[in-house]
Amino acid sequence: MPPAVQVQQLSKRYSSAFSKQAVQALDGVDLQVEPGEIFGLLGPNGAGKTTLVKILLSIVQATGGRAALFGVPVDKPHARKRIGYLPENHQFPDFFTAEQMLDVYGRMAGVSAEDRKRRIPPLLETVRMTQWRETKIKKFSKGMMQRLGLAQALLNDADLILLDEPTDGVDPVGRREIRDVLVDLRDTGKTIFLNSHLLSEVEQVCTRVAILNQGRLAREGSIAELTAADLYYEVLSTPIPETLLATLSDKIQPRNGTPAQETVLRRYQLKANDRQTLNALLDRLRSENILLESVHPVRQSLEDYFIDVVTESV
Amino acid sequence: MQLAAIVLLTFRELWAKKIVIGLLIISTLIWVMLTFALNLDIVEGSLAGVRLFGQDATPGETQVNEDTGEVTRELFSLERIVIEIERFVAAVAYWAGILLALFATATLLPSLLAKGRVDLLLSKPISRAGLLGGHLFGVLLTMVALALYLFGMVWLVMSLKTGIWAFHFFWGMLVVVAMFFVMYSVVTLIGVTTRSAPLALIVTYGLIIASLIFTGKDQLVPQINPPWRQVFLGFYHVLPNFGEVTMVVLKLTGNEAVTSWYPFFSSILFGAVLFAAAFFFFNRRDF
Repeated sequence: MPPAVQVQQLSKRYSSAFSKQAVQALDGVDLQVEPGEIFGLLGPNGAGKTTLVKILLSIVQATGGRAALFGVPVDKPHARKRIGYLPENHQFPDFFTAEQMLDVYGRMAGVSAEDRKRRIPPLLETVRMTQWRETKIKKFSKGMMQRLGLAQALLNDADLILLDEPTDGVDPVGRREIRDVLVDLRDTGKTIFLNSHLLSEVEQVCTRVAILNQGRLAREGSIAELTAADLYYEVLSTPIPETLLATLSDKIQPRNGTPAQETVLRRYQLKANDRQTLNALLDRLRSENILLESVHPVRQSLEDYFIDVVTESV
Repeated sequence: MQLAAIVLLTFRELWAKKIVIGLLIISTLIWVMLTFALNLDIVEGSLAGVRLFGQDATPGETQVNEDTGEVTRELFSLERIVIEIERFVAAVAYWAGILLALFATATLLPSLLAKGRVDLLLSKPISRAGLLGGHLFGVLLTMVALALYLFGMVWLVMSLKTGIWAFHFFWGMLVVVAMFFVMYSVVTLIGVTTRSAPLALIVTYGLIIASLIFTGKDQLVPQINPPWRQVFLGFYHVLPNFGEVTMVVLKLTGNEAVTSWYPFFSSILFGAVLFAAAFFFFNRRDF
């Protein structure tokens, strides 16, 4: 089965006939998302995330490289047949009711009249919009629009669902419900491509993430792999002499503001990329007659990791 | 199915913006006025008198006998009355109808291409040409329906009142719809490239006003110095001759031979080129 999303050396340069300034939004990005994954695309503002998603949907045209959805080049309209999309800050014609809008947009997605009739009521139920189905869209709040947008993206029973900030403007309860919908979709074998600023959300839902920065792919991998890449350990021990701390300053740091329970013990943070390095460090401490009370691995949050990667790239 | 959805979306938008309703009301007022306010006294198949809102409005050509000084009036034939009324309606539809329809539809495309809305449409499995074509087809269908309503009802009222079934009235309608679409090509091209409805309207109305100058071409050209004469004639041949096409509408409606089709066909060519350019830019641009 071809990858759900395949991007090779993808580039996009925005230029204008009226201005000499050009912006390199994407610069040789390679990316692959397998069917059934929930893939998170992260990056600071202006990193090129939305441009990448728009190229996948042929809303923006690449200036270099190739992109395909399920093996079909993105410039072919039928490449979007198995796609559901929720854009950021989407707008629906506000004269429609929720139900009418789903019907018209379902038609545009190629959903038959019979399927539309069958799918719309349960979809409205899934996004908690049943009671508003006959209300005009102009009366909806941002959160309601977001939930309706999600229903629209799911209407054609797509195999790949691209979501750009799906929980933007949604209250915490609604956010959790959307998250649950995404997990349910994953369990039914759907592929989800999630573009979000909310790192905690990505961390809870995604199986794999990529970080884009300044148009380039900075990192890619599973969340466990990425957050474990630079492992930190908290060590409780007898005080380490200043001279030794100075020698190992890149590996061991005293933890400020968190005094040990006993005055004879101190807390330190060790940085070790693998088990061998950790044990070598502990052996070194023991050889200096430092007594260890406890050693706990401290896994970075995705947010910490993201900030490290973005800062490092800058 | 997708094309039908875009046509439906366009029609629903026109309906929601009360554009269709507004134009329907104006058309209804015209044929209702003809039905109830215009009274034709027909005696043995000939026109004996015309009353408008109860007042005598019998048209005719006044003649003075030079010898006796006697003033006589020869009444218009019934057929001529029908033609003149239908010509009047066609002229109103051509000028007021098209200007109103352009004003009413100019916001459609920029609204369709607004950020957040165009993204959703382009993400559907429809080609860009299909999307723009569907929109144009929706506008065209709506305008044909509105024109059919106005021309059809006026024709029906006049035919029932007089017994003269002047089918040539509908040729005028076809030219009116075609010229609306020629001018809508300007709205489309500017809408696609700038997403600005006000700019589209300014340019379109500007071209219509400029076309009025072209109606005096035969008088103006001899008075313009050579370098500028070519420029003037260049514009005349390139730009739509909206003003001059009025005569085509009136002649067709009156079942008279059209002396020159050039203004109409050069305008059609202008519209075709602009639509081609609109499709070209729409296919290439990023949203």
